[in-house]
Amino acid sequence: MISVSPNNASEKLDLANLTDDQRALEIKNLSLYYGEDRALHDISMSVPKHGVTAFIGPSGCGKSTLLRCINRMNDLVESCKVKGDILLHGKNIYDKGVDVAALRRRIGMVFQRPNPFPKSVYENVVYGLRLQGIKDRRVLDEAVERSLRGAALWDEVKDRLNASAFSLSGGQQQRLVIARSIAIEPEILLLDEPTSALDPISTLTIEELITDLKQKYTVVIVTHNMQQAARVSDQTAFLYMGELIEYANTDTLFTTPMEKRTEDYITGRYG
Amino acid sequence: MKQWFRTGKPWIWLTAGAVSVSLVAVIGLVLMIGWRGLSFFWPTAIHQMTIETASGETRTLIGEIYDSEEVPIDRVRQSGVEVDASEGELITRYLMKIGNREYVPLDFTWVVEPTIVEDKTPTDMAIIERTKDGNFYGRIIAIEQQGERIAGYEEADFREVLFDRVERAVELHDEGQALQEDEIGRINYQLSELGLEERRLKLEGQLTEQALARLEAERERLQAEYQTLEKALFEIRDRAARDTLIVEDFRGEAVAVPLYRVLDVNFPNDMHLLAKIGHFFQQIGKFVSEPPREANTEGGVFPAIFGTVFMVLLMSVIVTPFGVVAAVYLHEYAGKNPVTKLIRIAVINLAGVPSIVYGVFGLGFFVYMVGGSIDQVFYPEALPNPTFGTPGVLWSAITLAILTLPVVIVSTEEGLARIPSSLREGSLALGATKWETIWRIIVPMASPAIMTGLILAVARAAGEVAPLMLVGVVKSAPMLPVDGNFPYFHLDRKFMHLGFHIYDVGFQSPNVEASRPLVYATSFLLITVIVGLNLTAIGVRNHLREKYRALEQ
Repeated sequence: MISVSPNNASEKLDLANLTDDQRALEIKNLSLYYGEDRALHDISMSVPKHGVTAFIGPSGCGKSTLLRCINRMNDLVESCKVKGDILLHGKNIYDKGVDVAALRRRIGMVFQRPNPFPKSVYENVVYGLRLQGIKDRRVLDEAVERSLRGAALWDEVKDRLNASAFSLSGGQQQRLVIARSIAIEPEILLLDEPTSALDPISTLTIEELITDLKQKYTVVIVTHNMQQAARVSDQTAFLYMGELIEYANTDTLFTTPMEKRTEDYITGRYG
Repeated sequence: MKQWFRTGKPWIWLTAGAVSVSLVAVIGLVLMIGWRGLSFFWPTAIHQMTIETASGETRTLIGEIYDSEEVPIDRVRQSGVEVDASEGELITRYLMKIGNREYVPLDFTWVVEPTIVEDKTPTDMAIIERTKDGNFYGRIIAIEQQGERIAGYEEADFREVLFDRVERAVELHDEGQALQEDEIGRINYQLSELGLEERRLKLEGQLTEQALARLEAERERLQAEYQTLEKALFEIRDRAARDTLIVEDFRGEAVAVPLYRVLDVNFPNDMHLLAKIGHFFQQIGKFVSEPPREANTEGGVFPAIFGTVFMVLLMSVIVTPFGVVAAVYLHEYAGKNPVTKLIRIAVINLAGVPSIVYGVFGLGFFVYMVGGSIDQVFYPEALPNPTFGTPGVLWSAITLAILTLPVVIVSTEEGLARIPSSLREGSLALGATKWETIWRIIVPMASPAIMTGLILAVARAAGEVAPLMLVGVVKSAPMLPVDGNFPYFHLDRKFMHLGFHIYDVGFQSPNVEASRPLVYATSFLLITVIVGLNLTAIGVRNHLREKYRALEQ
């Protein structure tokens, strides 16, 4: 059995009946098709505020696809069709007339591989702010320091803010990308296997960072690493073949899974 | 043998051979053109030859040996020269440039070796470069100031006096030239602008008494200014006309060569190696910095260099945004359907259309239709004289921009395709719109590829001559497309081009022998200019590549 860190056990939420105050996001009967193929089957779940929610499951189970639905990244895929609702503050993000760019400012995303822009560290962090037309140097400087501190990177890069982002190590680059995302103060931060391209030490740093981030943001993380999900998350959703099999508080899910398939997966019978 | 084929070695030899042949061809070409072109600037000895004519008389020739060749005796006999030699023998003949155009029908002559009685290279032989009638060869025997002899060749400091006087004459010449081109040119330009303004006011029905009076006053002011300048110019000319050289020419007669026409005097037979090297570089400097003289057979090629570079830069400024925008649309926005595919194929095939077709299109569409319309709308006062409705540097640049557009589009699209999608997603995830992502991330990252397209475009455009002959190039342009008169860039003007200059000098010149070295020198220069432009672009590209190294991840 996988050990569950004690901080997750402190507060237990009734995930099936969250109040509006506790809920950051509600997914209702969400199905997704790639052309004729159905990738997600009728998924319904609520993501609570200020917690870390992990999506786990074997490769190809649709966990990344589900994550990318939340900030409409799947819009980029031409053949992709979405049915169902994702409610943010009670409003469906798939409604017509929703400003996708504004939505993505509220729901930030970090990808598998670090993808800093070919600019300086400083310019990477302020990219989102510049898009919003902020030019005041003082505001930008403050945002850079706040975001880099928030991403636990400030002490390492404060002397080379003007160096190219590519001069950083992989782990630093990933934290820079996180800093870039939190610079625009999103409500929700989506992390798509953020440590899969990193070494163990960088992974540890990022995991510690995720625990810090939930103080301010709602974090949704996709991971193929069950130990990681157990270490960092408060709630865990297990997906299999495009279906949501089980969604529970992390310690419950890992210690007393309700479903046979969940148990098989977390004990390593398949995956 | 079969074994040997199976090892694959023949392929290595074959491919390496192909590379070697290409290399030899390119290096040979550059070396040949470079050698023939540059040797033109090296000071050659002035020969004084005594030759025996068919009638038994002797005569003297003074000049430079330009070329020599071995010809069969029959051909020499056919050209009317009698020589003692047995049948089938090869004899040498020399091509001599004897200059002194006003005294001889042709300033080049062939000399058959057996007829040479005596061949000397006296140290006091001078080559005198003049503004008119080409070079003069002879022995300078005296300098006259207002008809009075002030120095003779027998005096010890004769050369110093001579060089002093030549320097003064050249300075006055330059001064007069500058006055004429800058100041008087400006006044002429302003006067013609005044005339146009008057016509414009008349056409608009606003030519009031007041306006007329203002124009008249302005005109009088300019006329007065012109008078003063003209007086100054005449004064300079009078001062320049003071000195005369007395030169003994090939006939042994003393001829007066007025110094105001002299640009340079040299004694190549009396030069040591260092002086020759200095002279060599000085001549090259003159070639690239001076305008041509005497129907392009003498002088430099500066306006052609300027025209080529200016036109290419203008073309780059036009083609880059167009090509990039078109490529961005094709790659980022256009749906992935057969129509897009068709458009892409059409664009690529556009690169295969012969360039003269673009010239015809440019003449018909840009010059006559667009230019003609511009004239009717914006320059009615100048009609029937066309302003933009005539070939000019702008139309040349636009025509070549269309010619090179496919190259830029294709390379930009390739560059766009190479950018990892993770960067697009990263930008979009931060709330950027597609347009912001393209503008801030994608296009900057594709800039090395855009530069590659531009490099190919420049290489193609700088060497293109045929379409330009229809849309703007001329043999001799009196004014550069950029000068000190407002609005400084005169894109309606015609211009000179190195490529066309080669064609003109080599094939349209009245003096083919004189121009042959010029053809090589100009070709070499054209190659240098194109290589220079390309190296600049490559430098910029490497800098950009360094900046956006992310692609290698």
